[in-house]
Amino acid sequence: MSTVTEPSTPDRARSAPSLPFTTAVRTVFALEMKQRLRGRGWYWMLGIWFVVVGFIFVLGLGVIGATDNEGGILFDLIVGFVLFFGLLVSPGLSANAVNGDRAGGTLAILQVTLLTPGQLIAGKWLASWAGSLAFLVLSTPFIFWALALGGVTGQEAVVSLLMLAVELGIVCAIGVGVSALANRPLFSIVSTYMLVALLALGTVIVFGLSALLVMEERTITSSYYTYPESSLDSMGAPEPGAELECVTQTSQSEVPNTQYITWILAANPFVVVADAVPYNVEDLPEPETAGPYGPTGGPYYTPGVMETISQGVRAAQAGPDTDQTCEEAAQAFRPLPQETPVWPLGLGIQLLLAAALLLGARRKLTMPARRLARGTRIA
Amino acid sequence: MTNDCGGIVVEGVARSFGSVQAVRDIDFEAPPGEVTALIGPNGSGKTTLLLMMASLLAPDLGSIRVAGFDPVVQPREVRSSVGWMPDTLGAWESLTAREVLTTIGALYGMSRPDRTRRAGELLAAVKLDAFGDQPARVLSRGQQQRLSLARALIHDPQVLLLDEPASGLDPGSRVDLRSLLRSLAAEGRTVVVSSHVLSELDEIADRAVFVSRGQSVKSQTLDEAGGQTRRYYIQAEPMTALAAALQSHGVRFEARRDSRREEFLVQLGTTAEASWLLRTLVMADVVVTAFAPAGGALEETYMSLDTDRR
Repeated sequence: MSTVTEPSTPDRARSAPSLPFTTAVRTVFALEMKQRLRGRGWYWMLGIWFVVVGFIFVLGLGVIGATDNEGGILFDLIVGFVLFFGLLVSPGLSANAVNGDRAGGTLAILQVTLLTPGQLIAGKWLASWAGSLAFLVLSTPFIFWALALGGVTGQEAVVSLLMLAVELGIVCAIGVGVSALANRPLFSIVSTYMLVALLALGTVIVFGLSALLVMEERTITSSYYTYPESSLDSMGAPEPGAELECVTQTSQSEVPNTQYITWILAANPFVVVADAVPYNVEDLPEPETAGPYGPTGGPYYTPGVMETISQGVRAAQAGPDTDQTCEEAAQAFRPLPQETPVWPLGLGIQLLLAAALLLGARRKLTMPARRLARGTRIA
Repeated sequence: MTNDCGGIVVEGVARSFGSVQAVRDIDFEAPPGEVTALIGPNGSGKTTLLLMMASLLAPDLGSIRVAGFDPVVQPREVRSSVGWMPDTLGAWESLTAREVLTTIGALYGMSRPDRTRRAGELLAAVKLDAFGDQPARVLSRGQQQRLSLARALIHDPQVLLLDEPASGLDPGSRVDLRSLLRSLAAEGRTVVVSSHVLSELDEIADRAVFVSRGQSVKSQTLDEAGGQTRRYYIQAEPMTALAAALQSHGVRFEARRDSRREEFLVQLGTTAEASWLLRTLVMADVVVTAFAPAGGALEETYMSLDTDRR
């Protein structure tokens, strides 16, 4: 992260002793990791994590049974679960990084050394990120298990895990930033959870509410297959050999133009991960259209949770389908191709948020301090 | 005495926290090669002043020069030449004493062999070598205090700022601290010690700056402090004979009430006057059992300032 490096002031750098960035960051990182590795809390969390992920996976394995996308569904389940719990764990690992040290009286000791605020923040951020990534690493047995079941391309898997790691890093950056800005560890942990909740839930709520603002009266054309009136007997059952016909209706109704508000969802961590994954929509088994004996809809393809999110976003981007054909109606799952990816926007928003917090943190940690919060002591 | 190359010069410094004026107007000077005591009651601004000299806090007004550098404009230079020991004991509990020292050494840009060697030397100097590889959490308060001192010395600083270094130390460690600080000053370093345990500073400090309510109220050397009027306490068997002898020589005295023992307090201007009185009493056949200064030289000054003790 270039945002947290200390800009070198030319007139000062000449004579001033300075600490190389890598040395400083490595030292802070080692300091943090030693404390984490020698404590017990982290191992307990990892242990509980492994058991829970394992339980969910085995449960999923048993419940899902034999669909044609077993590997995909389980892989998505693990990715979604690791992301969900990562969003819960990362603030805990990062959001007391700085003010915890302040409370312990060790922050000022670091600040009187040649360590710059940027180096301190970078080291703390990397350490909390590494701590969070351990949870991802611990999930690898299940990830490989799911991959072994097939149905997930290498590209999907790599991008999923990469984006997962990036999201954990962003949450850690938010946590470290807040921990420097807030004075009490409890307050900063709660604030970080609030910010994460704003991204993960707030975006969905705002999206849902905004849908009311983009309602519009549109003419909707919908189509479906049915048996013609003439081929039905007195009981309403079709006569043998009757042919299905395509009926098209038009109606006026209020539909939300979600294509205008989909960007709100972009900053959602689940959307960023799901939208970035290049799900293979072309190679799916071609859905059959209605045959002479009615819509078979098969073979069924059931998307996993992350792919469902990805498809949901694409559907929202496409906006209401005002002209549905019979072929479309007959398909059980009709994957939408990606038109405009929203994840770069979402990632950009998240990075801006994290960078703003880290810059604020760096300002706050720059000594000598001119302003102190009420009731705080430096040492 | 102090020039641009060493020592500390503080002029007219003020610093407030919100509505609290922690430091109003402090002038302070600490020449290299001497131990300067910073003396004042609790809450008189000692720690705030030390934080400003350690480049952690910017003054609202006034100027500070530490080893020739301005902490506000040149914090890096100040930090590399200053060793600061805070009054709070912050410790990374799971790290060993040796790791604490090497970590801080690394953050001062010391090479690995350098900091390893230096950490070993300092652990021996503060008599913690037996605990060097124990986690810091098993150290007692006094041991942590000594570790904190070693930490402040890790980068061999020219200026030492020690905030209450003797608190929590046992008598043996205090003696060690005294000789360590004296030897550091003898090497030409600037040593500033804040404390309110005055008896100790008498033996360590060369000079003292008294602060009260955020203002520097007096600055004197120990020699000056020793030359001023002091109170002596005298005990004799029986006390009535002592009272009679003192009255006959016109020496004013008062019975001390804050002590368990019965004793008289007299004000004497110089040590010559004290030796004259003692000789006179002995010659007058008063059985003198005790004759000593009532407090240290600095305590005498501190009490005479009498600005903050109500």
